[in-house]
Amino acid sequence: MPKPHQVQVIKDRETQLREQQEAESKRRTYRDVKEETRKKHKKAHFEASPTPEESTSDKISLPRKRYYRQRAHSNPFSDHRLEYPRSPDDMNWEKLFPGFYDEETKQMTSSVEIADVGCGYGGLLTKLAPEFPNSLILGMEIRVQVTQYVEDRIIALRNKHEDEDVNFQNIAVLRGNAMKFLPNFFRKGQLSKMFFCFPDPHFKQRKHKARIITNTLLSEYAYVLKEGGVVYTITDVEDLHNWMVKHLEEHPLFERLSKEWEEQDTCVSIMFNSTEEGQKVTRNKGSKWIACYRRLPNPEECV
Amino acid sequence: MKHPFQIVLVNKAGTHLFASVKNHLQVFRLSDGKVVGSWIDTVDMFTPLKKQQEEKIKVLQEQNKQTEESENNEIKNESAEPAEKKSKGNDSKPIKIPKIPVPGPGAPPIYNYIRSLALSEDEKHLMGTTDSDKAAIIFKVDLSSEGNCLTLIKRQVFQKRPCAVSSDQETLIVADKFGDVYSIGIDNEAPVDEKELSPILGHVSMLSDVLVATYNDKKFILTGDRDEHIRVSNYPKSYVIKNWLFGHHEFVSNLHIPEFDSSLLVSGGGDDYLCLWKWYDNQLLSKIELRDLLLPFLEEFHLPPERFLTDESQKEISIAKILTFVSKKSQKKYIVVLAENTKCLLTFELKADNTVTHKQTLTTDFPIIDICLISENSSIIAAVDRETSDSLLEFYTLGDEDVFEVQSHTDIIQTITSANECDVEKRREFYPLYYINTLRKRSEH
Repeated sequence: MPKPHQVQVIKDRETQLREQQEAESKRRTYRDVKEETRKKHKKAHFEASPTPEESTSDKISLPRKRYYRQRAHSNPFSDHRLEYPRSPDDMNWEKLFPGFYDEETKQMTSSVEIADVGCGYGGLLTKLAPEFPNSLILGMEIRVQVTQYVEDRIIALRNKHEDEDVNFQNIAVLRGNAMKFLPNFFRKGQLSKMFFCFPDPHFKQRKHKARIITNTLLSEYAYVLKEGGVVYTITDVEDLHNWMVKHLEEHPLFERLSKEWEEQDTCVSIMFNSTEEGQKVTRNKGSKWIACYRRLPNPEECV
Repeated sequence: MKHPFQIVLVNKAGTHLFASVKNHLQVFRLSDGKVVGSWIDTVDMFTPLKKQQEEKIKVLQEQNKQTEESENNEIKNESAEPAEKKSKGNDSKPIKIPKIPVPGPGAPPIYNYIRSLALSEDEKHLMGTTDSDKAAIIFKVDLSSEGNCLTLIKRQVFQKRPCAVSSDQETLIVADKFGDVYSIGIDNEAPVDEKELSPILGHVSMLSDVLVATYNDKKFILTGDRDEHIRVSNYPKSYVIKNWLFGHHEFVSNLHIPEFDSSLLVSGGGDDYLCLWKWYDNQLLSKIELRDLLLPFLEEFHLPPERFLTDESQKEISIAKILTFVSKKSQKKYIVVLAENTKCLLTFELKADNTVTHKQTLTTDFPIIDICLISENSSIIAAVDRETSDSLLEFYTLGDEDVFEVQSHTDIIQTITSANECDVEKRREFYPLYYINTLRKRSEH
């Protein structure tokens, strides 16, 4: 009988819709609560004397990813309402890395040296943190909720490991469009490593300029990288891997690092195993392609 | 009435005026206003669309071939029912010819007009860009010729709409709205298929201006974009970026390097100020405030579009043109600024210590569309937005105390205006004259 069957479907849809709405409002409530914590926590760093009891007794729980899910794609060309510094001189790094800010000299004791472009849920950041305890590592992510997740994750980690050697003070995340505003954050030759892990493949031909590795963007990456700095790329899409390799090969300021180099490099193995996307690929028994390139010196006549 | 001139350009000697209206390009001798050169763009506006269609057909044919082949393979496998099916398969699959795509009602109209014009350093070539077929056009200029002084020698089509040009001897540098910069030869050689061109540098933002600049015999490309970036790249090794010039909050629309000092750069766009730079040294010398000076000239037009209008909305300034010159009388240096759709020109004195002071606000009767400057006698030619058949230009001459005076009606202006061949019935038929402020970012997300 067709009729009851149809009713069933409609009812299901209604329930589905209701459930969806409920779930969404639940997610929102969760994120609102977290936002409160985040604000409080951020403020605490800048207020003269946060009561130490408060900050230690309130154990902040690690955020749960399912409340922050967001569509995997974002249009890098759109005029998002982004916050970015007017120039690298205007960047307030102490907000992101309060542990590396010297109250007396009012100066940062270190500057960002490693950038994870499109850091997603921050898996790579948290694994790099103990490896490079004296380097500042910045994740950049264009999706609002994903960025918030990473922020909350870092707050919780800092809170949890406050008194330990690895206290996660050297990692931070910000929402930004690295394709447009990278030079607003970093000075010429500031970075020693840049990671591009599982970037959006942008399969359609006409979307290829939206890819994170293009001839013209590589010149900007070369600008912020110091001589000898390394670009790390990993993807589970073979076409994209070939694309990235092709463009890096064509660029006169990059030179591919050998398989042997990849095998001995810690970052490569971290990148291979620790990002959320990388683990997903492993679970699905997919392949992962890696390519790493070294920043060559500028030609002599160039400034 | 005549359609106003949209771009005016003058050669260094100040003997000839190059002016564009819609798809018309004319060259006037300034001694008597005689037309010595002209060109009308007769490009088929549907060329790009037809090209798209051709490509689609090609793809379909390719696909058809492939499916046929795979079907043939299947047939080979299923040897039970051979030839009959094969022929059937072929007959039932004629290629559907896709229609030439028609832009929808909401699509922005494409105008057949010239968007930018520039003379090469030696003034032997005139270069421009067209909107209709996204092309760069290069003309040979022979002012001594008895006939038409303009000969089109190259028309290079690009994938994305080009919007600004500069040049370096035998090379044309073209910036496009997709953020990329290309270089093509200034020669008679046949244009390259646009798919084979690859950019020499690129921003992830719409470009608005491009300049080739020289410092200590080294060459650079300066690019300005719709974000607030000005980039300085080495040239020809343009993959090596020298630095960015940070100082603008809004889009950049105009870059100008004075002839009297090529280490300086004046830039302007959507901000209330201009920036004066030592571009090679990455040094912002000063910000030249404009708002107070321009405020009396800002009107309804300068408010944001309705859907972005709030109680706090200010009238917005967009810079249309920046020029510089040295006064022959006083040897003082000046900057001339035109803000979009205003009835005034501002001049500023640029002192030897690189400080800038306001000199004059020249008020005009009509909004100015474009200006150019004859350095020989420090006079300005302006294209004005006027509903008339005889005075679409105004001349401003530098009088005593380095103050400009309007010389609004001369026989030459009349002669030039009547040679303008674009007649219109009413103002509504004008092509958009003011679009710089559309570069302003109004983000909603």
